[in-house]
Amino acid sequence: MSIIKTVISAILLLVCTVGPIVATLVYESSRTRDLTAEILARTPEKGNFSPRYLKVALGEKIKLRVRNVDTVVHGFAIPALGVDAGEIKAGHYAILEFTPEKPGKYDYYCTTWCSEFHLQMRGVLEVTAR
Amino acid sequence: MSEQNSNNQNDNDQKMLGIIPLNWRFDLASIPIIRWMLKQRWFPMIIILANMFLFMVILMSGVIGGFSSGNYSFGVMFVWILWWVVLMMLLVPVLSRTWCMICPLPSFGEWLQRMKIFGVNNKLGGLNIKWPKKLSNMWIMNILFLITTFFSGFFTVKPLATFFLLGGIIVLGILLSMVFEKRSFCLYVCPVSGFQGLYSNMAMTEIRVKDPAICAKHKKKTCVTGNKKGYGCPWLLQPHSFKRNTYCGMCLECFKTCPFDNMAFNIRPPGTDLLVNEQRGLDEAWKNFIMLAIAVMFYVAMMGPWGTLKNWVRGETLAGWLKFITLHTTFGLVAIPGTFLITSWVSKLVSGAKDIALRTVFINLSYCLIPMGMAAWIAFSFGFLLPNGSYILHILSDPFALGWDLFGTANIPWTPVGTGWLVPIQFAVLFGGYIISVDFGYKLCLQTYGDTAVAKRGFIPLLVLLTLVTVAFGWLYGG
Repeated sequence: MSIIKTVISAILLLVCTVGPIVATLVYESSRTRDLTAEILARTPEKGNFSPRYLKVALGEKIKLRVRNVDTVVHGFAIPALGVDAGEIKAGHYAILEFTPEKPGKYDYYCTTWCSEFHLQMRGVLEVTAR
Repeated sequence: MSEQNSNNQNDNDQKMLGIIPLNWRFDLASIPIIRWMLKQRWFPMIIILANMFLFMVILMSGVIGGFSSGNYSFGVMFVWILWWVVLMMLLVPVLSRTWCMICPLPSFGEWLQRMKIFGVNNKLGGLNIKWPKKLSNMWIMNILFLITTFFSGFFTVKPLATFFLLGGIIVLGILLSMVFEKRSFCLYVCPVSGFQGLYSNMAMTEIRVKDPAICAKHKKKTCVTGNKKGYGCPWLLQPHSFKRNTYCGMCLECFKTCPFDNMAFNIRPPGTDLLVNEQRGLDEAWKNFIMLAIAVMFYVAMMGPWGTLKNWVRGETLAGWLKFITLHTTFGLVAIPGTFLITSWVSKLVSGAKDIALRTVFINLSYCLIPMGMAAWIAFSFGFLLPNGSYILHILSDPFALGWDLFGTANIPWTPVGTGWLVPIQFAVLFGGYIISVDFGYKLCLQTYGDTAVAKRGFIPLLVLLTLVTVAFGWLYGG
């Protein structure tokens, strides 16, 4: 009886401590299986876009999640590819799906004035031939 | 620490606001199913475990979720909006230190001492050293809580800051549990514990013995020593005889260890403990002053129109932040106590009572600030609950700002609720606190001075101060 109680206690403890971590990782990885990349958005002085360089293959369908983890509004656009998420409020995110048809290096920008260093908030998406 | 004084009136005969007898009690544990539950070993442990799950999510949201956006962080919203509001509006004023009953933060340390979660092992591990007698008071908690508020400008906007605060409390709790006996950490260190203890004097519930005569005959005192059914009081109290909520963490062990079912979980009129002249001291008086100071400073910094001060609090510059710390500390530790000291001195002077020490007047009368302080905190809490409460619906569905929608509420936009009624509600709460403070202020004068005519004269300066403070809070909140 004592062993059973100990085992139950240990299971409950694990469920309540490690459980949330495991559940979150499993759920999130299942949700983001088809995601090409996630870009975090912060003002340049707080870290800028992260990552600032992405490499994808030509003709591949791209699915980007841009998360604004900042305290101000940001935007996201790749003008040369006609991709524009519009405004992304603090704590929100945007999902962007597109398929690049030409190889090359495409700049992505923050499209909302977010700080005095706003113009530095940019990155590069490189599309390479297979 | 103890300030004993004569009392010409039996507290049992007194009535709150002249209406509710202060000795009225109803024992919730007289309901069989509640008593049965309170005596089970799985209660409240099962709630602590559920709470631990919640706190793991809070900690995770500090490092996984929206890193800088407070209003979309589960940790920030849950701790500083929901938990704080529930604590200040419901748990402490109604249910005393029920939060301590279900708090998961010291549990790791306690389990390491016991090497059991549900079961009983009275041979506790760790060094089990007694807490130093000189530090057996609220001073450390006072200082730690004050220091915590220095970082208030970060906690509410930076999820990582909340992670470090809660994580720090857990680590400190574990370390101290390995060195000192039982719940020494909760009793003398935890920054959240002190104000709960003081304000729980106002609470509408208490744990007490039913019949002291039964305890007097019981030589083993299993509520102190523990037995097979439970631990000796983890809060180092004498459950058979304590008279105030202040240091009772409501862990319910005494319900389990008492062989005579002699413990009661009473509903009672609010504020009953304010008149209990036991273990009163300067440490508790200063806790009062600090809580009032923080209520003012938080309002000024978070909701006031003074941009410069906001920048100081947010630490825009180190010099500004240091100015805030200096101003805040001086206000809480010197200005408010100084004002109260002058009031106490005038009270003693006009009362004509020469044989009562100023220190006694100062300490005793300070307890009438508790209802007012609590009202100020409740009014302040409405100030962020009504405008910002709707964020909670969002973060419940998307706790890590990852785009989840667990309960279908992730896309509910920010919706202030009832803000048109905010100021009238705050005024009503402040006025309620004022009335109760005045009522207990007079009773405390009567208890301190011992004579009705003397007490009436000594009460006048206190009444003036309470009125001015309430008007000041009214101006601040509604002006």
